[in-house]
Amino acid sequence: MIEFKNVKKVYPNGTVALDNVNLRINDGEFVFIVGASGAGKTTLMKLLLREEKLTSGSLTVDEFDLKKLSNFKVPYYRRQLGVVFQDFRLFPNKTVYENVAFAMRVIGEPSKVIRRRVPTILSIVNLQDKYNCFPRELSGGEQQRVALARAMANNPRIIIADEPTGNIDPKMSLEIMNLLVKIQKKGKTVIVVTHEKNLVDYFKQRVVTIGEGGVISDTVGGMYNAEV
Amino acid sequence: MRRYSLTYFIGQSFKGLWRNGVMSLASITVLMSCLLVMGSFSLLLANINYNMEEIGLLNEIVVFIDENSTDEQVAAIGTEIKGLDNVSGVRFISREEAHESEMAKLADHPNLLQRMSLDKEIYRHSYVITYSDNSRVSTLQYQLEHLENKGVSKIICRTDLAETIESLKSGITMIFIWFLAILMVVSIFVIINTIKLAVFARRQEISIMRYVGATNWFITLPFVFEGIFIGLLAGGIGYLLQWYLYTYVYNIIITDYNMISVMAYADISHYVIAAFLAIGVVTGIIGSSISLRKYLHA
Ligand SMILES: Nc1ncnc2c1ncn2[C@@H]1O[C@H](COP(=O)(O)OP(=O)(O)O)[C@@H](O)[C@H]1O
Ligand SMILES: [Mg+2]
Repeated sequence: MIEFKNVKKVYPNGTVALDNVNLRINDGEFVFIVGASGAGKTTLMKLLLREEKLTSGSLTVDEFDLKKLSNFKVPYYRRQLGVVFQDFRLFPNKTVYENVAFAMRVIGEPSKVIRRRVPTILSIVNLQDKYNCFPRELSGGEQQRVALARAMANNPRIIIADEPTGNIDPKMSLEIMNLLVKIQKKGKTVIVVTHEKNLVDYFKQRVVTIGEGGVISDTVGGMYNAEV
Repeated sequence: MRRYSLTYFIGQSFKGLWRNGVMSLASITVLMSCLLVMGSFSLLLANINYNMEEIGLLNEIVVFIDENSTDEQVAAIGTEIKGLDNVSGVRFISREEAHESEMAKLADHPNLLQRMSLDKEIYRHSYVITYSDNSRVSTLQYQLEHLENKGVSKIICRTDLAETIESLKSGITMIFIWFLAILMVVSIFVIINTIKLAVFARRQEISIMRYVGATNWFITLPFVFEGIFIGLLAGGIGYLLQWYLYTYVYNIIITDYNMISVMAYADISHYVIAAFLAIGVVTGIIGSSISLRKYLHA
């Protein structure tokens, strides 16, 4: 379970990105985070990733209290999360297989486990035939699926996607969203930040709208808030 | 069971060294120069000490007795010297002993024979006097020159030479320390920049490693290894160069100035290699740790 309580984030330059966020996300939920540009959605994700520290309030993710989490424990905390970014962030000189295997290697998984698990994950995102390709040989949608496979490589409990479809065409976007829903059905908590009204409306999931430094609406099976 | 393979870290660090070829080469060269300067100074000091011990320069006054003196006169002079203030020891060296030891030396260095006009002193008895208080040597010297018993032919007080060599040694040491400090700082600075470049080249990779939960040590170890390799290479190559340099100087001294004894490189090479590798590795670790400090705290 993820719980934001009165979370405030002020950047060192004085920008108040989030003022008072209260939000609870249960295990296995699918949540869209929407809101105007600059509303603080990415900041919210960065707090979750412990890339940024909250200024005040509290944020807990399962047994981890992010306010108290020491730097030393951050890597172990991050293994609970899988992240996907708008710009994919793949290694251009590694193959699809290597990009996914890399995530497992850096946390010390034995080669045997890597060899067994990477093909399984690649088949979840329908890329089993492309394992030997380099990112430049793939479409945007395919690259994002590699990134998604990498995010799942270490079997995290939570998947965070910050505008995952921002750089890919609409048809592919639908496919990525379908995959994210499929992943949620496998029991993971999935948080997707997006701008795409059509997709949000199509999937009829929980929609949390961020604005004015906090949560301005939170509807289950909801629609994209037209005003933002 | 999680395992991290050493080959991964070593492979990564070699890749890093190779990718920043010019900087790596600069680091190795600077560190190696530093080691060479340090090595050469240390070897010079070691040889000065070695020679001083060998000729027993320190705290000794030698009193030669006129070759016409009788045994009684010689003994009387000995007793009088022992009675002087500030004398801590008196050793008698008979003319036979003096002759023998001189001949033994000549046997070691055959070509010395032609150069040396054999010194009269080896046909004389002598007393080697050690004293306890350095500051009153001149008084002692005066007393020896004015003994009641006659028959002293010559007094050699090598205190001046010893003092000169001592001050030379401390002068060399001072220059050495300054030079070394500067070179060390430069070495560390260059290594810091080499590692920073290596980190910069891999910044994207590092940020992804962070997102998937790689630990700090996993991320930084290849760079520390890189520093260690720089140190090892500098130490190894430096050792070989030092060997060449020392042997070169050694041969000049042995053939041209054979009054000075030079330690053979083989006798000291194990100290040199141990010191070079140790200092190289420590410098490499310090350099890489400083450049990674930021990452270790993130
Ligand atoms: N590192 C930062 N330093 C200072 N201000 C920042 C930083 N990151 C984001 N901001 C500011 O915080 C606010 C929220 O940004 P962000 O979380 O990126 O919004 P969103 O993702 O909803 O577009 C914006 O005003 C932005 O300019
Ligand atoms: Mg954003």
